[in-house]
Amino acid sequence: MTTDMHSHWYPIASSSDLPKRHVYQAKLLGREFAVWRADDGYVNVWENRCLHRGVRLSIGINDGKELKCQYHGWRYANRTAGCTYIPAHPADAPARTICNHRYPTQEVHGLVWAGETASGELPDMEGFDEVTVLRPVPVNAPRELVAQELRHYVFAEGCTSREEADGSVIVTAAGGPSVRLFVQPCDSNHSVIRGLLDQASEGAERVAILKHHNWLLEELRSRIEAAAASMETPEPMVVTIAKVSEDLVDIPPASEDGRQAELRVQVTEKAMTAEGIVSLRLEALKGPLPTFQPGAHIDVHLQNGLVRQYSLTNGPGETDHYTIGVKREPDSRGGSVAIHDGVAKGDVLAISAPRNNFPLRRDATHTVFVAGGIGVTPLLSMARTLNSQGLGFEFHYFVQSGAHVAFNQAFGEMGDAVTIHEGLSPGETGDTLRDVLKSPGRARHVYICGPGPMLEATRQIAADAGWADEAIHFEYFKNTTERDDSSSFEIDLARSAMTLTVPSGKTILDVLREAGINMSSSCEQGACGTCRCGVIEGEILHQDVYLSPKEKAEGKSIMTCVSRAASDRLILDI
Amino acid sequence: MIRLYDYELSGNCYKLRLLMSFLGVEYESELVDFYPGNRHKSEAFRKINPLGQLPVIDDDGLVLRDAQAILVYLASKYDGSGKWYPRDNPDLLGQVSQWLAFADAITATASAARLHDALFYTHIDVGACRAGAHRLFRILDEHLFFAEEAGQDWICPGDHPTIADIACFPYIILSEEGGISRMDYPAIRRWCDRFKRIPGFTVMSGVFPAGPAADEDSKLAS
Repeated sequence: MTTDMHSHWYPIASSSDLPKRHVYQAKLLGREFAVWRADDGYVNVWENRCLHRGVRLSIGINDGKELKCQYHGWRYANRTAGCTYIPAHPADAPARTICNHRYPTQEVHGLVWAGETASGELPDMEGFDEVTVLRPVPVNAPRELVAQELRHYVFAEGCTSREEADGSVIVTAAGGPSVRLFVQPCDSNHSVIRGLLDQASEGAERVAILKHHNWLLEELRSRIEAAAASMETPEPMVVTIAKVSEDLVDIPPASEDGRQAELRVQVTEKAMTAEGIVSLRLEALKGPLPTFQPGAHIDVHLQNGLVRQYSLTNGPGETDHYTIGVKREPDSRGGSVAIHDGVAKGDVLAISAPRNNFPLRRDATHTVFVAGGIGVTPLLSMARTLNSQGLGFEFHYFVQSGAHVAFNQAFGEMGDAVTIHEGLSPGETGDTLRDVLKSPGRARHVYICGPGPMLEATRQIAADAGWADEAIHFEYFKNTTERDDSSSFEIDLARSAMTLTVPSGKTILDVLREAGINMSSSCEQGACGTCRCGVIEGEILHQDVYLSPKEKAEGKSIMTCVSRAASDRLILDI
Repeated sequence: MIRLYDYELSGNCYKLRLLMSFLGVEYESELVDFYPGNRHKSEAFRKINPLGQLPVIDDDGLVLRDAQAILVYLASKYDGSGKWYPRDNPDLLGQVSQWLAFADAITATASAARLHDALFYTHIDVGACRAGAHRLFRILDEHLFFAEEAGQDWICPGDHPTIADIACFPYIILSEEGGISRMDYPAIRRWCDRFKRIPGFTVMSGVFPAGPAADEDSKLAS
């Protein structure tokens, strides 16, 4: 088969074949597609194989935002086909983007068009602005034979036919109406006739038209199949399925890029979502945005040179844009003010791909979210995910006043699960939290994000109420602890076989970078967890707010941007 | 209580499990080792059904064989709404009976191909069975396409499924186990989604549940 055929557009479905929450199965030139319409109307044309075990995605579940494989529950996002969830490691969704194969698609003239490497214009459809899409008729015969026989299609008196440049056939009756017939080449001996009548119709007339053509096309099919049966059946087409890379077999490692701004996005909306909080909608300048998981953040590189981290607030299926919320900090070091005052709709920003150091478990029987102020942002994305999948949660949002409630509309979709606590004093907040967190239990988890003091208090209340360390998940947006960088020590890099000295005034991360080691980082103040590194030997002086007390006590990892050695030497697993 | 002589992998037994689940009728399963035990051909079972076939029910002493016959009986006796088997509507009743016979033809083809591929019935002419199933599926797909055009969700007219849907469903949804793809039958594939969303739907080995319908599309009232 020539690549020329693969670069054409072919109709592979009628629009009406794709109701919501359905997965349609198609084949083109030997390759199977899983085709599904998301609730936003977008039509996805994907390889009909789950990346995991190769099971057909056409038996999967279209939940309106994601397609879930029936076999082990891998989930793939609308538009990007990025994998958003792997149940086998519920605490850690893939750290980087794994995407299923997508194929070019367009939906025009009541038909869904696709092609393996299709590009360029669809066939010229002059005269077919208003159409009735005929019932497609599958035929067990090669495309060439079907196309040849379509020239003899007669549906009224005095039909004449002509072949178009794209290989379709237009049959025009003496009375005027024309039918344009396309052949979808499914496989070497398998085609589908897809027809358009050049007039719209409805009601009884429409049914009569559809039945008339359906009958005639089925009669034509009988003749074509009889002819095909007397010929030698061609071998089925062979297609290459891109191999799944080796690294998908294991849990994907964190990406090793440093603080990079690999994406360019345009601010397409900027609005005040609450008092002092602005929301920005960011859309890609080119191509789709990388897939994110709930809890993920991005680095935003500001015009003044500062780099700031903001959590994505998006729900599942929102793959064409990122939305962040930024609070104006009165004692800002320039980040929030630069966004509030310096960024306007239409501006282009450099951002990093999403990174997720605050993963959401989806095997919990119940999840409690505790948000304080702008700490709402990562938790909002998580709650929208659970809500969409019908998993149980409650969301407690602590704000100064009703005017401080951000992203009202998104909360509206969650109904009774959300409780807004307005204007409570620290004492009242403590009492409320003790009540909210009074029932720890198996497979119950709590996620906390908010200002430092509130976060500390909540963690303590949860621990006092008996929540296990593993069940308390938190994210600080900044590290306000006093940090000491006066010590000097050596680091042995076990895998790189290097010994480096960290002098006072420099961080481990600085020294690694100077030695040419590409270590990823993001907040660089010990809050986000990106620069985490394994420790094989040595005492650690933890100065971050990312690790839990238990993790700190275990001493098996270190945040290289702020923490240091408490001994003379650390052996790092790098 | 109703006793169902049952085999998990039998689509014909599944028809009855489906109807009793839709109706909320309690029953107990008497498992018959169809494969590999071949117990449906045993002397003991042939005393219950001389044809040596599953399913059979025993409802308080009334012993009935044949999946379609049992659907008619159970729906007539236990469906107070009269919607699954509309006894008082001759037009509809005629259509239901027509499609029950069609379901038997599906069993003779699609189920036979599955027995060949999955349960080692090697004497079956699987090519002929698959071709026969495709002929039937073409007819049903066309029927369901025009039913959708008329605003109808089910095999027979009306706003509620009938036992005709139940009788046709199992060996259609299991057809791929007999090497019969449903890719060419998009209207059948959509009907399968709707069927799986009937309240009370249960699965069997090889049959997967559907996700929830989009709100505006969920026409079926429970």
